Amino acid sequence: MAGAAESTVVREDTSTYEAVAGLTVGLAAILFFLGLAATVDIVSVTGTLAGLGTLTALGLLLVVMGLAVVAFGLASYRGIFPTDPRASAGLVAATLFSGLWFLVGALVGSETLGLGFGGGLAVGLLVGAVGFAATALPREDIGSTLPAGALAVLFGLVFLLGVVGPEWSWSPASFPDSQSVTFFARTIAPFAVILSALVVGWAAAKAYGGFGARGRHLGAYLLVYLNAIAIIAVLVALVAFVVVKGFAPVTESVTVGLGVGPATTIALFGFSYEVVWPVNWPFLMNGASLFTDVTGVFPAIVGTAWLVVGAVLLAVPLGVGAAIFLTEYAEQGRFTRVVEVATNALWSTPSIVFGLFGAAFLVPRFTPQPQKSLLAGMITLGFMLLPLVVITSREAMIAVPDEYRDASAALGVSKWQTIRSVVVPAAMPGVVTGVILGVGRIAGETAPLLLTMGGGSFVGAGQRAKVLDSFQLSLSPPFVTNPELTQATTALPYQLYQVVLTGTGETAGVTDITAFGWGTALVLLAVVLLFYAVGIATRQYFRSKLTYE
Amino acid sequence: MSETEPVTNGTERPAETTAGETDERTREAWREYEFAGETKLAVEDLDVYYGDDHALKRVSMDIPEESVTALVGPSGCGKSTFLRCLNRMNDRIGTARIDGSVELDGQEVYQDGVDLVELRKQVGMVFQAPNPFPKSIRDNITYGPRQHGDIDTGLLARLTGRDDSEAADRLVERALRQAALWDEVEDRLDDNAMGLSGGQQQRLCLARCLAVDPEVILMDEPASALDPIATAKIEDLVEELAEEYTVVVVTHNMQQAARISDQTAVFLTGGELVEYDDTGKIFEDPESQRVEDYVSGKFG
Repeated sequence: MAGAAESTVVREDTSTYEAVAGLTVGLAAILFFLGLAATVDIVSVTGTLAGLGTLTALGLLLVVMGLAVVAFGLASYRGIFPTDPRASAGLVAATLFSGLWFLVGALVGSETLGLGFGGGLAVGLLVGAVGFAATALPREDIGSTLPAGALAVLFGLVFLLGVVGPEWSWSPASFPDSQSVTFFARTIAPFAVILSALVVGWAAAKAYGGFGARGRHLGAYLLVYLNAIAIIAVLVALVAFVVVKGFAPVTESVTVGLGVGPATTIALFGFSYEVVWPVNWPFLMNGASLFTDVTGVFPAIVGTAWLVVGAVLLAVPLGVGAAIFLTEYAEQGRFTRVVEVATNALWSTPSIVFGLFGAAFLVPRFTPQPQKSLLAGMITLGFMLLPLVVITSREAMIAVPDEYRDASAALGVSKWQTIRSVVVPAAMPGVVTGVILGVGRIAGETAPLLLTMGGGSFVGAGQRAKVLDSFQLSLSPPFVTNPELTQATTALPYQLYQVVLTGTGETAGVTDITAFGWGTALVLLAVVLLFYAVGIATRQYFRSKLTYE
Repeated sequence: MSETEPVTNGTERPAETTAGETDERTREAWREYEFAGETKLAVEDLDVYYGDDHALKRVSMDIPEESVTALVGPSGCGKSTFLRCLNRMNDRIGTARIDGSVELDGQEVYQDGVDLVELRKQVGMVFQAPNPFPKSIRDNITYGPRQHGDIDTGLLARLTGRDDSEAADRLVERALRQAALWDEVEDRLDDNAMGLSGGQQQRLCLARCLAVDPEVILMDEPASALDPIATAKIEDLVEELAEEYTVVVVTHNMQQAARISDQTAVFLTGGELVEYDDTGKIFEDPESQRVEDYVSGKFG
């Protein structure tokens, strides 16, 4: 055969086949996203899709794709298309398919045919065994397409023939009445669609690659790719959900124009200056008050901001200092290992434990009578942040190349000067990354604040934590005082919890509690993102000093 | 090898009788052997242990000033260890134990009361891989003097009129010119040094070392990570620097040692200094059979 040597490198013209198989892979991806959209009601299961009922349309698509995949397998088996299949689809695929088919068989046997537990198990085992055999025994092109295509066709027919319609529901009899469980079509159908889209897409991708090594690569690629997309989609959906739900309450009666906003008196150490804001944004600028139409979250925003600032100011110097000692000075041995384990354990300690610690040891410390206070909240959250700062700073410092330390020592520069002017600057981006991660966690903490800081979830805008304004100078020690720090105040996550769960919203005159909750959540998300942005900008600044661009 | 060997520099030296064994008399003879210049560094009976590993065995050699001394030998023969003893960089390795004596200008380096800052200012070092700090070119050069307080360009100094910016600029130019890098980086002194090529980075490291005004420059395979053109530049620099400084170079590369050095010390496996002599003598007519085999490429 003259072309034999050539054909192993250059694949023969397979354009038609590849086009059709590629189209099927694309359809599977679309089906996957439709299923994903249906889980979060973006595509309604009870509504319509392209002029048909949603389930009918999805069923039709599944049947067509299932048949197409089986057709690929058969065409390859008959040698109509040049493919490179192996002897078997493999044990992993066979085990997965037998599991899927076992479930299908067991459910059909026990529920549809009414054979009960024993009958269902028997049918399931039988169908599972057939699925295993159909995958493992034939050549790869049949083994990986037939079970996949059949599954898609079966699910498709179930939807198409209305066996599972939009209003279908299933309450398994095995649950006792007091704990009954009901699966609705809108819960089950999207998952069935996602599952069959993955299976049929995998088979189609294998067919597209002509089976064999290339086919397996493409099949795996498709699964990993869709998986990654799904995770990102979940994140996007989460944020989008909060934005959609929270947008209306947050932007209620916003007006822009000169002099429409509230007047703020900026006061520091006795000097004051009045500013009138050119924008009136009630939700962000108001507190709870009888005289405003819109109850806002301004005091909670201020509280959260001060909490984060206080916690960072406490944790970063202590954490970086500890990391310097552990990395540069302490002899690497049992002591540093114990400290390392302890730090990691501290980071995974539940926040309520920190809260209890704060309530027991910090709350009674600052005032004559035990009183929850902003300061106690700051210190508690600072302690929570501390282990992460230590862990990430240590890692960042260990990652600083020893060559820098050698070079500095060879110039006669002392250890501390080396740490200060070479090691810490080089580790700074890593330290900031740790702080960013930590701030995301502590800004959303609710449990410790309940115990250490929270007082009255709704306060007027005037009663916010006026930390800056309330610095006072005095002639007697401690010379600078700030009574605001020892007062209880509120914070966004704490307020969200109070509004949604404890009904404090009604007493404060909030009309739509749920909407107010979503609004608060949106503001919290924005505040955390703002801290992220500041952190990322800081990291970028330190990084730009270290690299050449 | 014959029993009697030709005489070099007027000093008669007994030959090594058996290959693979350093004769005690030979060792004594080298110690008395005088090179042209004044002795800058005098090393006597230096032993180094890393834990139980005896890395350097009773090494004695005098290094003359204003010349290039090459240390050659196979990997793991102790030549880098020896180099790092000269400015006490081995102190930084916790498991290292050092016996013996190193004298710089007649002053013992291994004794109580030695100021490591002063020692390392006088005995500078350039490493195998270029290791500039991730700072600007200017800050790399002024790093040593700034940390030692010789130059202050900080905010406080500027506010109180003790600003040394001009001195710093002169220092940067002087050091970069000495390292033959000035023309290439003149207009980007404030760019990060990480943007330089490997060869430029290595010359920057040399400039950084020169900025603290050393008398001795130790170089640990300074060109092994560089391409031939960058290597040639470093070699030219080494030869120029030897007019003013005492240069000690560790190298793997026999041709390099032959090209640039005035005297060559051959270390062979086990941390022994087998032979130390004028470079010409080592490469053309070494005393020891092992050295001849090594420099002619028969092993190692």
